[in-house]
Amino acid sequence: MSETHASAQLIDRYVGGDTAIPGDELWALEAHLENCPVCRGRLAEIVAEQTPDVTSMLSGIWSELEPLAVSTPAPVRRRRWVATWASPTLVPWLGMTALVMGLALLVDWADSTAGRPSLVQLLAPVAPLLGVAVSWARGLDPAYELTSATPRAGLYLVLRRTMAVLAVVIPLLLLVGWAAETSVALSLLPCLAFTSATLALGGVIGVSRAAIVLASAWVVLVVGPVLAGSMIPLVLDPAGLPLWGAAFVLGVVTVGARSGAYTRLGSHR
Amino acid sequence: MKGDEHVIRAVNAAEVAPTTYAWEIRADGLRVKAGRRMAVDGVDLSLGAGVHGLLGPNGAGKTTLIRALATVLRPAGGELELLGASVGGRTEQRRLRRQIGYLPQDFGFYKRFTVREFIEYMAWLKEVSKKDIPAAVQRAIERIGLADRADDRMKTLSGGMIRRAGIAQAIVNDPQILLLDEPTAGLDPAQRLRFRELLRELGSDTCVVVSTHLVEDVAVACTDVMLMGEGKLVFRGTPAELEAAGGAGDAGDSPIERGYTALLARQQPDRGSW
Amino acid sequence: MGVLRSVKGNEDDEERLVRRVAKGDRASFDELYRRTSPWLIVRLRRRCSDEQIVAEVMQETYLAVWRAAGSFAGAAAGGSAVGWMWTIASRRLVDAFRRRAHHAELPAAVLVETVAPAAEEEALAGAVGDAVGSALRELAPELRQVLQSMVLDGLSVRETAVLLGLPEGTVKTRARRARIAMREVLS
Repeated sequence: MSETHASAQLIDRYVGGDTAIPGDELWALEAHLENCPVCRGRLAEIVAEQTPDVTSMLSGIWSELEPLAVSTPAPVRRRRWVATWASPTLVPWLGMTALVMGLALLVDWADSTAGRPSLVQLLAPVAPLLGVAVSWARGLDPAYELTSATPRAGLYLVLRRTMAVLAVVIPLLLLVGWAAETSVALSLLPCLAFTSATLALGGVIGVSRAAIVLASAWVVLVVGPVLAGSMIPLVLDPAGLPLWGAAFVLGVVTVGARSGAYTRLGSHR
Repeated sequence: MKGDEHVIRAVNAAEVAPTTYAWEIRADGLRVKAGRRMAVDGVDLSLGAGVHGLLGPNGAGKTTLIRALATVLRPAGGELELLGASVGGRTEQRRLRRQIGYLPQDFGFYKRFTVREFIEYMAWLKEVSKKDIPAAVQRAIERIGLADRADDRMKTLSGGMIRRAGIAQAIVNDPQILLLDEPTAGLDPAQRLRFRELLRELGSDTCVVVSTHLVEDVAVACTDVMLMGEGKLVFRGTPAELEAAGGAGDAGDSPIERGYTALLARQQPDRGSW
Repeated sequence: MGVLRSVKGNEDDEERLVRRVAKGDRASFDELYRRTSPWLIVRLRRRCSDEQIVAEVMQETYLAVWRAAGSFAGAAAGGSAVGWMWTIASRRLVDAFRRRAHHAELPAAVLVETVAPAAEEEALAGAVGDAVGSALRELAPELRQVLQSMVLDGLSVRETAVLLGLPEGTVKTRARRARIAMREVLS
């Protein structure tokens, strides 16, 4: 039926406001008109010939419309699809992370005493925490309440944003690690473990607080003593990786179990 | 049978199933905590389509109540049903939230986004289907009268315009329940007038709850008024009934303000003037 | 359920026009109006007999097209420009009805129709598919009206209720009865 068009008479009755067109034909006609410029052209001709009142309505509408269509319409914009992945406030904080890691790198280069543990390697596990904290932090995200009231809020959004953070921080770590000639591969699992622990703890006390707590604990308990004593502790040893793996899994399970926490304003302020 | 999608759409059974609820919002003895305080203490509601005003002094629990209705705070006690669904489980909540529009009192936004981008982002968060987003955003922008500023960054807008952008994001998904917390803050009188017209338009088939401390807004635009004091509902009725509750001896510059003061004084007789 | 359609139109022209409008081309906007406004106004007039509302909706629709042409060009790849315009116009019509305190009278015409089609219309009636076609024809007018609003015009239950001036429950009931009736014929 691809070549059949509506008959002129049917369009005539349609334009004329004929009330007696049978239901199915009317339906087929309207559906057809939405798809067929030829028949729309026919309709336009019939309107011009047969119904002067409609024609005058059309020109009246145009004369009022034309002066309003003045300012240039919106251009085809670059869509802010990045915003659907990363939290909109993330970028400056990622820059901060990069800055911190860069400084650590410089310290490592400056002080190349043999056997001294690399600052980069020590800081790598907590590197993503700043980005994660910012992604889901009440104080830093101006639209926090708005966002947490939406259907998409919740575990899915949290994971999406976290992935965005990791997608930037992990390559950064690899790059910095390569430049510092240390192996950061060992730090990747701890990275993930810290991230999931922050999210899990964040469900209870707020993500930014959790990030501060965990990062401080790491610095105080591990980084400090290591730098002072200049020995590599178990936690950074390859043998300790299974522990990190277990911590990661535990964090993930907790986050999954408490997924409701991310869809609400916590009662903690 | 189906054909080209842009001409016809399939009507699914769920869409035309009979409505199972009588009220869009139904609460029974609702109690909600804000911090450690029980900010909403035993509130009963049955709200259907129309514009419902929520009045009350600061600290009365209005914002907490609205947050509970937006499913952003979990009730501490009592029952709450939105669109017939009890507020609680996870998946129900997601489906429910697609039908809700919410404008919080401290409405935050991303300064570098343009108005259009911000509303599109919110539409995405509200799970409006991708192909419908541009048209829905344009419609929302036009309804609140920001069409000529739609592509300016939000940091260049005045306070009133930002508030209007907030209202636009609340209506972009054509919700069945609309919750507005102080929507007229920062709007000049002409804009408030336009906003009241929009409220009336929305109230024809949507359940709108407007929390405000501007009594005049309530008097004109709302079909009924609720007055909250110290976590409880002190009054529920039409604006005319609220006016009737006040007398010449009560403080206030208009009949409705007098009614407001009278009812609050009855509830809290030893409440100071602030 | 839906209606079987087998006609594919050649639509590049309107889409190309909209893309040019998105760049601010006034001449293309003029051309788009010239080509599509007769169709749109006739379709709107068959749903609302208040000329003022129709004029208002036409103006709002084309203004929206002018302003949002960029969004369409970016989003609806493969969609029809004219279909997109109808989506805008139908929602504006519903909004206009909401704004009025009372509903404009629908053309009483919609509810009255003869049953037997003229012979020469058979060809087009065939496009609908005979079974579906006869089912539609025999459907009670008020049921077909609801179905048309929801399926052909693409409106939701709430929007249909506003447009037809019916309570939502009535719209749902009629839609259900229409579906049942159609299914009976088709099975």
